[in-house]
Amino acid sequence: MQTPKRTAQTSGSTLHTPNGDVIFDSEGFLLRPEEWSETLARLLAAEAGLETLTNRHWEVLHALRTFYFSRGKAPTGAELKAATGLGLLEIKALFPGGLKFGARRIAGIPNPRGCL
Amino acid sequence: MKKQKGPPIIYLDNAATSWPKPPGAIAAMCAAYAAGGVSPGRSSHRLAREAEARTAELRCRLRDFFGGEDPEKVVFCHNATQALNTLILGMVRPGMHIVSSVAEHNSVLRPLHHLQQQGPATVDFVPLNDQGVVAPAAVAARLRPETGFVILNHVSNVTGLVQPVAEIAAVCRRQNVPLFLDASQSAGVLPIDMHALGVSALAFTGHKSLLGPTGIGGLVLTAAVDPVPTRFGGTGFDSRSLAHPGAYPFRLEAGTLNILGIMGLHAGLDYIAQTGREAILAHERKLAARLITGLEAIPGVRVHYAASRAARVGVVSCELENTVAEDAAEILDGEFQIAVRAGLHCAPLMHQHMGTDRHGTLRFSVGPFTTAAEIDQALAAVAQIAAA
Repeated sequence: MQTPKRTAQTSGSTLHTPNGDVIFDSEGFLLRPEEWSETLARLLAAEAGLETLTNRHWEVLHALRTFYFSRGKAPTGAELKAATGLGLLEIKALFPGGLKFGARRIAGIPNPRGCL
Repeated sequence: MKKQKGPPIIYLDNAATSWPKPPGAIAAMCAAYAAGGVSPGRSSHRLAREAEARTAELRCRLRDFFGGEDPEKVVFCHNATQALNTLILGMVRPGMHIVSSVAEHNSVLRPLHHLQQQGPATVDFVPLNDQGVVAPAAVAARLRPETGFVILNHVSNVTGLVQPVAEIAAVCRRQNVPLFLDASQSAGVLPIDMHALGVSALAFTGHKSLLGPTGIGGLVLTAAVDPVPTRFGGTGFDSRSLAHPGAYPFRLEAGTLNILGIMGLHAGLDYIAQTGREAILAHERKLAARLITGLEAIPGVRVHYAASRAARVGVVSCELENTVAEDAAEILDGEFQIAVRAGLHCAPLMHQHMGTDRHGTLRFSVGPFTTAAEIDQALAAVAQIAAA
């Protein structure tokens, strides 16, 4: 698969995919979660240094998205544990970048509004 | 100190708000509110008079607690942010120069930024020295003839380090510039005597170390400090006049006071009086030292200003080499039931100064009910995360 080009802007970046442009915020989170696809997830994972997404990765990514679209918010750590049956340290180890910059970013759900 | 029974959580976020509240404090507050939670200072019936008497009593208690002057210059607000806005916006004059520091919370930074953007004032933010505090000489170097006031926090809400307030006040006094103190992180735990320290105005919040509920805070002003009102409305007297009254405390208090908060703050002060502020401070400092020593011993953990010689309260910030602060806080909560706060802690210039403005830090803050065993559990949890 040819790696799509990413263009940086002051407010974030745009990934130019064969299916159209996808816009990200300044920390690399999808601005429109509905634009996510498994193909995009593979691209984001590859950018993060994760060449292969295993079943365990997909379980986490789909759990994050299912929770987000059914509840209107991202799961807390405890909710993510319950949804996946995995420990948070395990999930952190699965994704380069950890929970936020790994799993959550590749799952295409919005950047959390933390104290940053 | 005896801990109230509560859910199985290790709460190390007392710098955001103290929790749990002292045993019996919430019950006492609710009982007082149920018995007479009416609007103070408005109507003439018995309940209103009793509520007013409790309010006036609290003004006196706070005046004494902070070494203020006139209890009528103890002004209630909803929190420290509102108090600081009332003070800053009420004291600024066109062309004024203001001195503050990079250690401030956004409750000071944002009003000052607003004034800079709107044009009435210029502001100098003093950097910190290698001990993580404001050097008095650095303040002195920035004072000008047009400097209207210096405003500083007493304790950094990021590092827990205590500013040398008396020395900075001496510098200000020599130039006849008033010093305003944001005591959000110190009120209730550090000794504060405005007169002895040379502080002209103090902003406090009730829900942190004063152990009261959220929704109550205020200002303690000396005679020389006379902010222009920036909120206007009902005060319960002189209703014919469309002009807002000039007399304190009404001058800066528009609208019905938070009587529930006033009753809760009484309960918090009762606990501090019974336990002893010095004992609470000693307890929190002992736990902070245990935390710092333990964190420093974990490979891959860096405590900010661990070696500072400045005094400290029970607030400690650290970073983990292998985990961003937000993830560490999420794991502490989800895996270990430990509540901490990650990020910039509403203190962006402080994090710029520390070089942590990208991901922030992981902040632990102890309270009077934190135990040594809880600190040890937190250390064990951090060690697991750092090793993963």
